Amino acid sequence: MAFFTHGDSLPDNKHGKKRSGKLGGGISYGILLLWALINLFPVYWMFTFSLKNNEEIFGENVAGLPKHWLWSNYSTALNTGEMGKYFVNSVIVAVATIVITLVVALMATYAMSRLVWRGRKMMNKFFMLGLTIPIHASIVPIYVTLSRLHMLNTYWALIIPYSAFSLSMGILICTGFMSELPYELDEAACIDGCGVWGIFFRIIVPLMKPAVATIGIYTFLQCWNELMFANIFISSSTYKTLPVGVQALSGQYLTEWGPIGAALVMATFPTLFVYIFLSKRIQESFIAGAIKG
Amino acid sequence: MKKFLAMLLAVLMVVSLAACGGKTETPAAPAAPAEPAAPAAPAAPAAPAAPAEPSAEPINLEMWCIATESDSNRHSYEAAIAEVTAAHPEINFTWEATENQAYKTKIKAAVAANEMPDIFFTWSCAFLGDFVEAGRVYCLDEVYENFKSELPEVMMGNSTYNGSHYGVPLTMNIVGLFANMEILKSVGYDEVPGTYTEFIECCDKLLANGIIPFGCAGKETWCVTEYLESVIQKSCGSQVLGDIFLGKATWNNADVASAVDTFQGLVTKGYFDPDGIALTNDEVKANFMAGKYAFYMNGTWNCADFAANENFKDKVQVAEFPVINADKATLGQLIGGPSDTLAVAASSENAEVAANFTMELGRAICHYGYLDGCGLPAWTPNYDTSSVNPLTQTVSEIVANSNAMVLFGDTAMSADSANTYLDYVALVYGCEVDGAGFVEGLTADIG
Amino acid sequence: MKKMHSNKLHIAIFLLPALLLFVGVLIAPIVMSTYYSFFDWNGFGAKTFIGLSNYKELFSSNAIGFMKALVNSLILALLSVGIQLPFALWLALKLGKGIRGERAFLSVYFMPVLISTVVIGQLWLKIYNPSYGILNVLLRSIGLDNLAKAWLGTKETALGACFVPTLWQYVGYHMLLLYAGVKSVPPELREAAMLDGATEGQVNRFIVIPYIKPILKISMIFAITGSLKSFDLIYVLTNGGPLHATEVPSTLMINMLFLRNRYGMGSTIAVLLIVLCFGFALIINAIFREED
Repeated sequence: MAFFTHGDSLPDNKHGKKRSGKLGGGISYGILLLWALINLFPVYWMFTFSLKNNEEIFGENVAGLPKHWLWSNYSTALNTGEMGKYFVNSVIVAVATIVITLVVALMATYAMSRLVWRGRKMMNKFFMLGLTIPIHASIVPIYVTLSRLHMLNTYWALIIPYSAFSLSMGILICTGFMSELPYELDEAACIDGCGVWGIFFRIIVPLMKPAVATIGIYTFLQCWNELMFANIFISSSTYKTLPVGVQALSGQYLTEWGPIGAALVMATFPTLFVYIFLSKRIQESFIAGAIKG
Repeated sequence: MKKFLAMLLAVLMVVSLAACGGKTETPAAPAAPAEPAAPAAPAAPAAPAAPAEPSAEPINLEMWCIATESDSNRHSYEAAIAEVTAAHPEINFTWEATENQAYKTKIKAAVAANEMPDIFFTWSCAFLGDFVEAGRVYCLDEVYENFKSELPEVMMGNSTYNGSHYGVPLTMNIVGLFANMEILKSVGYDEVPGTYTEFIECCDKLLANGIIPFGCAGKETWCVTEYLESVIQKSCGSQVLGDIFLGKATWNNADVASAVDTFQGLVTKGYFDPDGIALTNDEVKANFMAGKYAFYMNGTWNCADFAANENFKDKVQVAEFPVINADKATLGQLIGGPSDTLAVAASSENAEVAANFTMELGRAICHYGYLDGCGLPAWTPNYDTSSVNPLTQTVSEIVANSNAMVLFGDTAMSADSANTYLDYVALVYGCEVDGAGFVEGLTADIG
Repeated sequence: MKKMHSNKLHIAIFLLPALLLFVGVLIAPIVMSTYYSFFDWNGFGAKTFIGLSNYKELFSSNAIGFMKALVNSLILALLSVGIQLPFALWLALKLGKGIRGERAFLSVYFMPVLISTVVIGQLWLKIYNPSYGILNVLLRSIGLDNLAKAWLGTKETALGACFVPTLWQYVGYHMLLLYAGVKSVPPELREAAMLDGATEGQVNRFIVIPYIKPILKISMIFAITGSLKSFDLIYVLTNGGPLHATEVPSTLMINMLFLRNRYGMGSTIAVLLIVLCFGFALIINAIFREED
């Protein structure tokens, strides 16, 4: 599998040489391998049963590779389940949410960590409240608000709530990164004649690239997975997202696992592929975000 | 047609039981059943020139329902919508189907925000009643006048509140005892046993031969009620159960407690598939069709799917659940009634047009649904019904011989009580409480 | 410079979008929910003010079973802190000290985090399927037929069966957070300790773990509030059943709001959930501060 082909160990692995080999090391390495297997197996199983018919899944060939590769399951999921459309919708919602969260979080963090005013610490704490609020607690009030604004059944019905719920995390991460930037930068830019906007856009934002990646991942995870809002706020199938589609298709093909498997694979593998290609960068920015956040 | 008349009369007799709660005033003198003699209208029910003004501006109507691709009603919805929209070119009709459980969430959120679609699917009685009480549903009394001859007033009973009509019934269904005759033959039965003693003997024989008698989806408690309610009804009589469901009597009833024990006895004897507790109804149904169980008690809407399955249609038969206590109950006491309903939102900008459209749509869905076997028609059929599958025909015979009907408990009761009731049913099925505990708990929590 | 940086207009413009979004979508609904929690209301009909009756009923009624749901989610939180986090920490320490295939392990462990919860739920439904699921098939194939059961349908096993995928999915998440911390430990510190003859365990205990305490704190807050808020996976797997064995506050809340038409009670649960999550976050903060 692709995961194992690249960068088997970190290039700058200074302290890795002195491995505490022997028995203990062997056992823990075994556990690491076993855990990797436990993580890989469901994905592998999902992939294989997406290509099988019920006879194979239910008895003849439970865990092996499919004997007859039934690609027709995929066309069923694509045609009946409209997975392609839902996938595009999910991408649109995710991208828009990430962009909005980023812009809004960066601006707010700038106001709270670089601009000087009383109460900015309090304001920061206020935003941190959002980390503890369960998203499901506010379904109906948000629904009512969205309906007043005539936003139900549009992408905005998901983008706005998702952005709002990702905001706290965004600000948390941004604050970590921004506090690392020396104040002298602002001062130098100010002397050069930059206004607040100039400083923000020309100095601060370009230096926040690592934060962008980190926030992107957090936000992506949040909105890519969400089911309840997506189900209630969207009734037109034009705007439905993947989780709703997967859930609906599973209801329709309860007894035929192949097409469900195909839908699950289609909802999962694109992200996994992107992740595999970008895993190093994603991990590094995640790491950077975690430390500073 | 004669059969249908008889059936209607039967339903007429029990209207007081089938009608909804205290909110309803039973029509004192129900209109005589529709004149079936003159089916003047051709097969395609042409619109009797609806009051829709022929403006150039198209009227937008939106409908939400639960007829998803896998729903047995899907075809009848599609056919009916094609027919009715073709007759109304001035209407720009859109519709969305959502899976049953998700739909309940969706429609309630929409009602709370007053953002309902023009036309929406609903269950009759309590479910629709809450919306009506909040003033969110458009009253259909006026438009009903134009359709009175085709839609008997009794069929409107479950969606009538304070004497006004708020829903268009589609089909009506009862709980049927479906049997896989191939399996029954293998243990020496040519027909579904008619008495309870024989029935139990049959189950024991099945068990002795390694066959599971009953399939029941424990994951969806309403499937358990299909069994339990029939057992209670056939032990205590229709009147007792009906009064309790409609809040006219309390749950505190020793007969009900012992009937619940009878049901639990079936569970503890191993008549039910132990795997069933983790399965959904669709999975159980598929198992039944695959020959895993001998019996499956569920709504008669299943006739459509059973009759459409080439391998299965010749094996399956439907019957009435036998009488358990002949002193209190008789054959002909059934669980069921018109429940699937379409309603019009009071907030609809074109409520009047929508109301007329819904009537025509309801009539057409009923038409195709009946022909497909999704249930018995709430609207008087004025078309050729000879193609109706034999299963559904048997059902209509059962209904024609019925003398009392009690609507499904979870439809008849208000949402909160219904869910409390379902909780206790699940406890009984899981053998967590016995009949006495069931009755005691429900008396305390509901009354 | 200073003048420019304290210009009220600038501050307002920079802060406004975030405030609007935050107050409009998060705070206002909470205020509304708090208000509704004092009413007997079905969500669309007439409201009746009943004071604290909803709160009283919630804690006293066996029929609602809020306490049980709360206990379930607290068990999940406990397992999360007691098993998931230590295991994630162990993985992070092992990987962080440099090991063959570090990158590959990291990628594989993080994979479940990237998979949509609905997909994970559907997948585990298939794994647990009583007749054809891989788990029972496996048990039967090694002769343990009597262990095979309807995992999600049996009261005794359903809660555990729901927790396994919940905990499994986010091990990678915590692992990566903690791994990040482990990697940030200055190598000099570690090497110095090694030179002094410290064993790997001692290095971890006295150097690495104290160093990554802030991240441990964040991880713990996420683990506990995440457990209290858990919804999606349980909704897909059991939706609280069988017999409310897997009910958690969020599933109960959705049940009240949309199945039982008890909007006031649903709001009450929402308010309590927020208070609980916030309370736990404060408690964890305080504990870590005390230790410092």
